Amino acid sequence: MEESGEFVIPASPQEVWDALQKPDILKECIDGCEEMTITDDGVFACVVAIKVGPVKARFTGTVSIVEPNPPHSYFLDVSARGGGAGFGSGRAEVKLQEVAEGTCLTYHVKGTIGGKLAQIGTRLFQSFSRKMTRTFFDRFSHRWMG
Amino acid sequence: MNAETGIGASVLRKEDARFITGKGQYTDDISVFGQTHCVFVRSPHARAKINSINTDAAMAVDGVIRVFTGSELVEDGIGDLPCGWVVTSKDGSPMIAPPHPPIATAVVNYVGEPYAFVVAETLQAARDGAEAVEADFEILEAVVETATASSSAQIHENAPNNQAYDWELGDKEATDAAFANADHVTTLDITNNRLIPNAIEPRAALGSFDAASSTYTLYTTSQNPHVERVVLALFVNVAPEANLRVISPDVGGGFGSKIFVYAEETAVIWASAKVGRPIKWRADRTESFLADAHGRDHVTKAELALSSDGEMLGLRVKTIANMGAYLSTFSSSVPTYLYGTLMAGQYKTPAIYVETQAVFTNTAPVDAYRGAGRPEATYVVERVVETAARELNMDPVELRRKNFIPPDAFPYQTPVALEYDTGNYGASMSMALDLADSDGYAARKATSEANGKLRGRGYSCYIEACGIAPSQLVISLGAGVGLFESAEVRVDVSGSVTVMTGSHSHGQGHETTFAQLVSDRLGIPFESVNVIHGDTGRSDYGLGTYGSRSIAVGGSAIDRALDKIIAKGKKIAAHMFETTDDQVEFAEGQFSYAGSNEPKPFAEIAGAAYIPAVYPLDELEPGLSEKAFYDPQNFTYPAGSYVCEVEIDPSTGVTEIQKFVAVDDFGNVINPMIVEGQVHGGLAQGIGQALLEHGIYDADGNLSTGSYMDYAMPRAADLPDFEVDMTSTPCTHNPLGVKGCGEAGAIGSPAAVMNAITDALGVKDVPMPATPHTVWETIQQGA
Amino acid sequence: MKVDLTVNGSQHAVDVADNALLSDVLRETLGLTGTHIGCDTSQCGACTVHLNGRSVKACTVLAGQADGGDVTTIEGIANGDELHPMQVAFRANHALQCGFCTPGMIMSAIDLVQSANEPLSAEEVREGLEGNFCRCTGYHNIVRAVLDAQANM
Repeated sequence: MEESGEFVIPASPQEVWDALQKPDILKECIDGCEEMTITDDGVFACVVAIKVGPVKARFTGTVSIVEPNPPHSYFLDVSARGGGAGFGSGRAEVKLQEVAEGTCLTYHVKGTIGGKLAQIGTRLFQSFSRKMTRTFFDRFSHRWMG
Repeated sequence: MNAETGIGASVLRKEDARFITGKGQYTDDISVFGQTHCVFVRSPHARAKINSINTDAAMAVDGVIRVFTGSELVEDGIGDLPCGWVVTSKDGSPMIAPPHPPIATAVVNYVGEPYAFVVAETLQAARDGAEAVEADFEILEAVVETATASSSAQIHENAPNNQAYDWELGDKEATDAAFANADHVTTLDITNNRLIPNAIEPRAALGSFDAASSTYTLYTTSQNPHVERVVLALFVNVAPEANLRVISPDVGGGFGSKIFVYAEETAVIWASAKVGRPIKWRADRTESFLADAHGRDHVTKAELALSSDGEMLGLRVKTIANMGAYLSTFSSSVPTYLYGTLMAGQYKTPAIYVETQAVFTNTAPVDAYRGAGRPEATYVVERVVETAARELNMDPVELRRKNFIPPDAFPYQTPVALEYDTGNYGASMSMALDLADSDGYAARKATSEANGKLRGRGYSCYIEACGIAPSQLVISLGAGVGLFESAEVRVDVSGSVTVMTGSHSHGQGHETTFAQLVSDRLGIPFESVNVIHGDTGRSDYGLGTYGSRSIAVGGSAIDRALDKIIAKGKKIAAHMFETTDDQVEFAEGQFSYAGSNEPKPFAEIAGAAYIPAVYPLDELEPGLSEKAFYDPQNFTYPAGSYVCEVEIDPSTGVTEIQKFVAVDDFGNVINPMIVEGQVHGGLAQGIGQALLEHGIYDADGNLSTGSYMDYAMPRAADLPDFEVDMTSTPCTHNPLGVKGCGEAGAIGSPAAVMNAITDALGVKDVPMPATPHTVWETIQQGA
Repeated sequence: MKVDLTVNGSQHAVDVADNALLSDVLRETLGLTGTHIGCDTSQCGACTVHLNGRSVKACTVLAGQADGGDVTTIEGIANGDELHPMQVAFRANHALQCGFCTPGMIMSAIDLVQSANEPLSAEEVREGLEGNFCRCTGYHNIVRAVLDAQANM
């Protein structure tokens, strides 16, 4: 599964970069995020409740930042497990670019899902993940808007 | 005979009385005192190493009694699930059967493979427990594609190139020579799509252990409870055969998928003794999709050599058959002895050579599904014949007629091992053309065109080998079981009759058909016959129901037992008439003797048998109860002609079947109503394969079609009214002259539909299923 | 939770879990096993019963939602020994083989015929039964049975 997109955030790349490293901000912006902590070695650990079609579950995941190049780019390695509901893993490439309105963030995700999610949620998963991403950036951008 | 209930009458079914009132007893309807519930924990990965399994959290769930992992079964001596037919490769080596533990221990090889199971007080608790089982997997590269499996990562240590076997049949040299001399060669690359059987009753099991008698009782959804019992006893080592009773009560459809011995009932019956309480399991539909054996999944190259005037000279077929992750119970025989042997079809093609490479992939095991090999063979032969006719600008009907084995050529030895006993293929073809209003086709096509639609017509003349099977022949070819059938006819004191059969009905209506046979032969009321099946505690070892064998083999066994009943009845009657038994006649329920004007009704002889006053007991034992084991001399060869007419809307790609005619030759028919019903059901599954159904795995080995929201089951509005009729050339080698009818519809129909669609579109091939999207894309490519 | 149900004319007060389905209560609590479970996504229709006179898939109705309701199952449509015309027609037309989908199919078909204003055509019967799967009959004889029963209902 692959997906790409871009969002423009009304803040400077450095501000965006910094905010993206803060667990409390991430928790606030990820729909259904119940816990978000950062371990000593810089790995984010989170618990997210999601519902994809008939599959509803609490996923426990880790997100590691790989090859950080502040405030321009990094890779995120994501791995999440939802017990009987399935699992997901993947790598996202994130790039920040200064534009007139602030920062243009582009991302490209390559990942796999498995378990029940893949069996009965495949058709729904793509629209779900798009909505989840949009919600994230709406909330994220909102921090800098009136 | 009684015209209303005897052989040949469309008697309404006995079993319906319970099914239409909700009184049927399917496995999940049975509950026993103290029963617990079971949920299987299944692999979310197509291929992974199991590093560890942690069951602590699951054990802590309220209501959970035990959590079992595969290693516990291994430690207890539970064996692998076996494949019961050893196919030999071209080089003489036996097939490779990788280890197949019922519950995975070290590796998982398909999504849905169970690696643990939870037994709990309630189903909810078992589910919660299953969710709490944690496993650490090391994910390995999955192999999914049939065509490329042999060049992909090796799944099983003992199977290089992911190959189970590389098999051949026929005369390669003669076939090559035929091609060398041919005027024309038609080549076709086709796939036979993976199907998921989907009996509406999901598989289920209820296992219990009685410590007092050391006896296990397993209720399960099996098409062949005796085979289940012997495999569990002899190969899986659950218990000695004598201490194991397997009961298949009412079973809600099988279509092959309930022949096999699966992990779940094995685990349930084994664990019932460990837990000391009965355990029940019923598959969720998603589990059925993941873990029932699937069907078909072939990739084939077929070449037909012809003379310029359409004489078929040689056929060469090379197939890759996907076996899934492991060899299921009878899987190895499906793309070989049930496939390659049918490549002559209805034709006198003199030289045929078939090769089948069976490969492993990280998908659910593939085994027999309605037709099992024969639909795949028919699809190859009938698609390539129709294509050849088009290439030679010949009428496809004429090309077939020119090559049919003529009625006077039987018995006919084909170049691919089988000897057909009888048939009249031209007669079925003529009847089918009449029913299809062949003469009116041009006008209908013109009307379609005027309406902006594309119309096409396709034929399929299938043959199948049924009445499976002569035991010594199949054993010599690698089968691990005989394929006879058992019957016991127990005449009651009052003259009513109880019949025990090794055949199993899961929709076929044996309680009716077999009762017709018995009532007809004994001249007793249909209502006086009670047919019992599906219980190893009540009937002799039998082989069950699949391969359209019930009437041809099971019915013949009953017929043989009836011969013995009548013979003994004559002996008893002879004493009453004071004559010898060769002077006694039996007809229409009466024993008679030329020297007496008082014939003895059957019931009177039954009474006399059990109240033994009139015959010397040192010569004749009391009682009237006889058994027979019938082993067929040959397969039976049902055959038929199918005609399909489709209309396609080029703007949407939607195909509508406007006419479907099926003319079958099943030999003698006991109950035409039931036989027609069997044809209808088979047609629906074949049309489903052609237009709708497809089991799809994504590149990672996830089953994308794991529910009824994604797997297109045929619904009422997807199917046409069928026009069904029959011709008859009675089977020459069984006592009833019957051939069997359960699979015909599914065997003959896909080729007819796809020949019609390719005709309408003017293309060589469209892959099955011909969904609107596929058809629309085909049209766009041509435009 | 406590749920009051009238099932096939008999009143029951049952104590069930909040997440119990109507199909669970019918099968497990009341022993009415004629209502079958064939899938887990409300597609197959084997569990169809009537709730307050209309067909519902009992696997998709919480027992609590049916509180105070009048439920009819396959076991309750005959009038004593006299079968419902739909039951008679299913047998007379060989509209069942394995029998597993039959109870749900009959319950759906009864509602389909009863809610039609005019006699149904074969095509309308096919469309109307889209919520019920049968794997045995190819629907051919089911359609005939429903048309046949319609004349006697």
